[in-house]
Amino acid sequence: MIACLVIPSFELRAVLHDRPRLRLAPAALAPAPGSEPRLGPVTAAAEVAGVKPGMRLGEALATCPSLVLVERDPAAADQAWEGVLRRLEQGGFAVEPAGLGCLYLETRGVERLYGGVEPALKRALAAVGPAWDPRAGVAQRRFAALAAANVARPGQILIVSSERTRDFLAPLPLTLLPLEPERQEELAELGLRSLGELAGLPGAAVADRLGPDGRRAWSLARAEGEGGVAPRQPPSALLETLEFPEAVANELTLRRALGALLERLLARPERADGEPRKLALSARLVGGGSWRRTVTLREATADRSRLRAALGSKLAELPGPAKALRLELVELTSPGGRQLELVRPEGEDTRKRLREGLRQVRASAGTGAVCTVVEVAPWSRLPEQRAILVPRDG
Amino acid sequence: MIERGDGPSSSVLGRALEHRSSRTLNEPRPALVETGFDGRPRQVNRQGVALVREEWRVVDRWWTEDPVSRRYFELVLESGENKVVYRDEECGTWFTQRA
Repeated sequence: MIACLVIPSFELRAVLHDRPRLRLAPAALAPAPGSEPRLGPVTAAAEVAGVKPGMRLGEALATCPSLVLVERDPAAADQAWEGVLRRLEQGGFAVEPAGLGCLYLETRGVERLYGGVEPALKRALAAVGPAWDPRAGVAQRRFAALAAANVARPGQILIVSSERTRDFLAPLPLTLLPLEPERQEELAELGLRSLGELAGLPGAAVADRLGPDGRRAWSLARAEGEGGVAPRQPPSALLETLEFPEAVANELTLRRALGALLERLLARPERADGEPRKLALSARLVGGGSWRRTVTLREATADRSRLRAALGSKLAELPGPAKALRLELVELTSPGGRQLELVRPEGEDTRKRLREGLRQVRASAGTGAVCTVVEVAPWSRLPEQRAILVPRDG
Repeated sequence: MIERGDGPSSSVLGRALEHRSSRTLNEPRPALVETGFDGRPRQVNRQGVALVREEWRVVDRWWTEDPVSRRYFELVLESGENKVVYRDEECGTWFTQRA
């Protein structure tokens, strides 16, 4: 069976982890810089005061003047989430994270280890930690497991058997479906309120009206389709941090700091010749918040200049002066069996990169996206007849 | 006088190539051209013409049922952009093209 673990408002909880007093006060996650001024998740006390997640900032402050706005801290949230995932992996669970505060796991591998689904899930909730108020849902399908986890109370394990799945899903609200807000509104305008009402419609009519997304949502509401769980590869724990004596906003200084971090990280003996595939660059900002960017390389490499080029451009996105810069090797590949050549043919490297670039363009934009100019009548007096573009497949 | 092109004159080669999902290069694009009394462009796509650098004619395929007769102008616009436009004498409309 598939289990889903949910920790609601994870980002807010992660920020309030070190500020337990605020957990009991009306508090909300401040809007992201540069985005619409709408609140993120809110505490239970704020909800009691009438503040809701997604509410406009002005409206929220008018509703609850004592509302405390908590600065976003994506680096702390990522770190806390990584801690949760690692604790589960140490308990023998192969997890597939689905965003902050939500993960899936396949129970089959651990049922015999812990003596059944429920004891295994109890162990999983204990590994997450009661302070996070995790809740678990178990079903044959991912969506049903997610729905069950969303309905469960903190610390509860809700198991939905396969024959009961459709009945269980039927009264639940449509907001559980992974649909765009516009689609949700469209469903509401059509008078649909619950998953059961959507599931009762003819599939062809839903596809005709709402397109492929709607059809997928219809399948989910009927407890059909969907794949299994694809567990992640546990990441490496290699990271280096550089604390600045005073806040730095100068990009040149930040680039030098990044260079020093790269040198230190690549020199770590634990790397054992492994090549970085995915790296995370984060900074602690002077205002108290944090900033984090993840970079996945097309090809794993330990080449310092290529890593600097890939990460350096991210530094320009820093929203403010940084007090500390941190570089993390999220994914390492084992040293590849790359065959070296005694004498490399001239231009072979360039051609190889060009071929790879063209392959990626084709993969993202379609097979006809890469063309070759072929002269057909260069002597023609009509410019449009001199050459044509022919799709290049090879 | 303002004239607007609706579509380029038919191209036998172009039609033949459509079946191979190939595309022609330098396909003419309809343009909004305002001309002076001498028939020379004064404005192209609402941009003033600073200089007419060259003018030439192309007459081709007059022996077929699909003759081509174009009056080309190489222009410098007030924005500094170089532009080549032509008037299709068969249908009386204007196009821009990279000649």
